[in-house]
Amino acid sequence: MGFNLITANLRLGLVEFNATFFFQIFNTFVLYLFLRKMLFKPVTELIEKREMEIASDIDNAAIKNEEADELKKEYNKKIKTIENEGKKIIKEAKMVAEKEASRIMEKVREDEKEIRLKNQIELEREKIKAVNELKDEISNLTIMAASKVVGKNLKLEDHIALIDQFIDEVGDTKWQN
Amino acid sequence: MSEGFGPQKVFEIFGMPITNTVTVTWLIMAIVISVSYFATRNLKKKASGAQVITELVVSSINNLTEQTMGEKLKAFSPYIGTLLIFIGISNISGLFGVRPPTADVNTTLSLAIVTFFMIHFFGIKYNGLKYLKGFAEPFVLLLPLNIMGELATPISLGFRLFGNIVGGMIIINLLYGALANFTPEFIGIPLLQAGIPVVFHIYFDLFAGVLQSFIFAMLTMVFISIAVD
Repeated sequence: MGFNLITANLRLGLVEFNATFFFQIFNTFVLYLFLRKMLFKPVTELIEKREMEIASDIDNAAIKNEEADELKKEYNKKIKTIENEGKKIIKEAKMVAEKEASRIMEKVREDEKEIRLKNQIELEREKIKAVNELKDEISNLTIMAASKVVGKNLKLEDHIALIDQFIDEVGDTKWQN
Repeated sequence: MSEGFGPQKVFEIFGMPITNTVTVTWLIMAIVISVSYFATRNLKKKASGAQVITELVVSSINNLTEQTMGEKLKAFSPYIGTLLIFIGISNISGLFGVRPPTADVNTTLSLAIVTFFMIHFFGIKYNGLKYLKGFAEPFVLLLPLNIMGELATPISLGFRLFGNIVGGMIIINLLYGALANFTPEFIGIPLLQAGIPVVFHIYFDLFAGVLQSFIFAMLTMVFISIAVD
């Protein structure tokens, strides 16, 4: 290899074949290898990888959408059944409550009747008692009056029965009014 | 031979002249390789900044190859990308004051020869003897004509690119020379050379340069896919 600065400006013919031909084939080949390895291969691989990823992402999204739709349908169905069940439970509870309420009302009514009956009986008894007391009083009064009128001859034991009989005959109708 | 528009010899290796075609090619290679090194050093799945541009370049070359050659031959994308990038930058390099490597018939013919061998290698690889038999069709007498036609492919490919670029380079050089003569001497500033060549640079370097790199890559793809089909 020798530099020849004197002939540096020597011009070759415009159309002249020389070693440049082989140099240029070699240069083109080297440039091709470099560009293929450094530029085209990595960039093309990157673009293809990205395209594949995008395609798979789109596919995945479609699958997920389908799944979501199915889930939604399922949940809607579930919600509907739950609603129906809830309605049924409320209906049943209402029925039970109504039954209970009517039962309670019945009981109240019965109790009331009973109380009223009891009160009546009590009243009746009180009345009878009062009547009896009055009878006794009257008989006593009558005896007292009779003894005053008749005097001391009248014997108490003989006449009580007589007076009682009288009062029973008259009193039952007269004292009750 | 120090006049003319041929490539200049920079130095010699074992008696072989290394012209500025080769040195500029090395420069372009160094720039392209280091740019692609830095562009792909930290690739992220979530692209941002320069990575977006890198991906745009690579994916447009991939798409172009796939659309032109079909799904089956999309593995040619790195080679087509190399052609597009190297020829494109070479053609535009005239803007930066260097001699475009594609203005050397050695460069363009070397690329065309590579395409030529690729055409027939992949033709035989994919179609075997049927491909070779295709040269004797419609009848055997046309064999020499068919072979000549095939040989014409790299020559036309190489000289189309070379002619376009070297023609533009010569016209622009002549224009600079003419403008230098027309500039009034008393000013001492290359006034005319400042604005007028811009139009010519846009057409010959940018437009023709990008167009020719695209044509070369396109024809390579079409020839290979015809041979493979």
